[in-house]
Amino acid sequence: MKLNTAMTVNRISDEVWEIPVTEKPGMVVPARIYATEQILTSMDSGVFEQVTNVACLPGIRRYALCMPDGHWGYGFPIGGVAAFDPHEGVISPGGVGYDINCGMRLIRTDLTLEDVRPRLEPLMTELFRKVPAGVGSTGFVRVNRQEFEEVMRKGARWCVARGYGWQQDLERIEEQGCIPGADPSKISDQAVKRGINQLGTLGSGNHYLEVQVAAQERIFDRETAAKLGVTGHDQIVVMVHCGSRGFGHQVASDYLKVFEKAMPRYGISVKDQQLACAPFRSPEGQDYFAAMNCAANSAFANRQVITHQIREAFSSVFGRPAEAMGMEIVYDVAHNIAKVERYEEGELVVHRKGSTRAFGPNRPELPDRYKETGQPVICGGSMETGSYLLVGTDRAMHETFGSTMHGSGRTMSRAQAKRSIRGEQLKKDMAQRGIIVKAVSMSGLAEEAGFAYKNISDVVETVDRAGITRKVAELRPIGNIKG
Amino acid sequence: MAPFRFLEEVALADAAFEATGDTPSDLFQAAAQAVIETLVNPATLLPTCRKTIEHRAPDLPALLFDWLSDIVYLKDAEGLLFKDTTVVVQCDRSDGSWTLHATLAGEPIDPARHELRADVKAVTKHLFDVRQDGRRWVARVVLDI
Repeated sequence: MKLNTAMTVNRISDEVWEIPVTEKPGMVVPARIYATEQILTSMDSGVFEQVTNVACLPGIRRYALCMPDGHWGYGFPIGGVAAFDPHEGVISPGGVGYDINCGMRLIRTDLTLEDVRPRLEPLMTELFRKVPAGVGSTGFVRVNRQEFEEVMRKGARWCVARGYGWQQDLERIEEQGCIPGADPSKISDQAVKRGINQLGTLGSGNHYLEVQVAAQERIFDRETAAKLGVTGHDQIVVMVHCGSRGFGHQVASDYLKVFEKAMPRYGISVKDQQLACAPFRSPEGQDYFAAMNCAANSAFANRQVITHQIREAFSSVFGRPAEAMGMEIVYDVAHNIAKVERYEEGELVVHRKGSTRAFGPNRPELPDRYKETGQPVICGGSMETGSYLLVGTDRAMHETFGSTMHGSGRTMSRAQAKRSIRGEQLKKDMAQRGIIVKAVSMSGLAEEAGFAYKNISDVVETVDRAGITRKVAELRPIGNIKG
Repeated sequence: MAPFRFLEEVALADAAFEATGDTPSDLFQAAAQAVIETLVNPATLLPTCRKTIEHRAPDLPALLFDWLSDIVYLKDAEGLLFKDTTVVVQCDRSDGSWTLHATLAGEPIDPARHELRADVKAVTKHLFDVRQDGRRWVARVVLDI
């Protein structure tokens, strides 16, 4: 087996690989990678280097983990998971990412492909008009500084109170769309100015809004799917992938600087500047945690305002209220975040960076409707292939701090993707395959071509076989909006 | 056009570039142009508004980091994209710190007229490097997309 590393990588099982602590000076715990042999051999060298750098951080517990969609990131690899003791361990913006609470939301409908296909073009046009995307886009919600601070504190709850959503939406969002402990006094003016006009916007890069089909033959567990509101029969669903926009990016940048300066004071040295961190209980660590929670709440609010706009768009195109089309949220999950969660060891500060929380059945954090099924997990593929709905398992609670994959993971550079196809051609090709694309940037569209990503089905099979998530349904795109 | 080139193999999901200049001022101008060209095709912009920026930093890398971060910040905070920049970077011999005085010319974002590219989230410290190579100044920068 030829890997992109000289390190020793031991096989634990067909889907789990371990790099022992002897492979790098300073490793506190082993590193574990979830992958098939085929996926492991395709992983870039950054994954091995970075997951073992994470394994060196103070107070890390059990393992530094990487999921099968892992690839090189800043500090942590994308797909990275690490849990730290809250008293002896650290918190690191490099373990959360610049796009704090980037995440996925899935909205179901009672509509079928037969209902939507004849109206798909006007639907995508209306969605493109109502959900701004692309460089520097601004949303329709105008808030002053005081109101924006309320958004930071209350997240999706602020939106629902303002009429941008339904009361029952909240229980279907991780943390009910509002993480406690957000403190706007820990936010810079720059972060406020970058984010205050961006509520309800998608951004660009790999962010998107997608209209998808759940076909009966692509549902793997009908009973669970039905409990999640996905009944198949060419049912239309809508998926949203975006985060905290410029606000979260600035919070991350601000605190990387703070931590760089603070590390010598705490006697911490890291193997990569992007792993800058501070003790979780230190003033700097607590300030970042409070600021990160502000950004996380603003991301929940962002996806909530977008949900409101999606319902409005469907309502105007199909001439019926969204309630009459059953447009309930299935779930909303964060895949760039740090949270305090309880495990066998007690409370731990769990970092997930390009990794999704995947709590198994009966966790107290889950709403009653999902106590039996386990937490819905939403994983987005490339815009040309498909996405998946999965559920969390008990095994994830014991092995991966209740965490799993988040998407398919890039394998080709943006420049190479652009050289391989032009955005206009890709749009035409996708239209021929029945997928309507509305994009602000044609070069941005080319960068997101399906061939630039791993095959998401291989990644999903890995986490399913490893038992850390169970696949429920595959969702195929018919319309996509990109920045 | 100020010299820079994008580096493909450095950041798979993002954008990396190397900028060069005969002087620190040239280098800063080249690096700014690389950030601008990541965001937008500058040929589609008009220089209808101007911004002036001044910075002081203890060293040249810190000054470059702040300068490029400003371009990202102004894109979100003021909705401005820039066509070109004029930069003067100087060393303050009294304490060894570096100062920047820059003028940026551009206009408010208009998706109908501007050929927008990728939205930059942040200038990162990953492999961030500023060095003098013989008579040339060279910087390597990775942008999070």
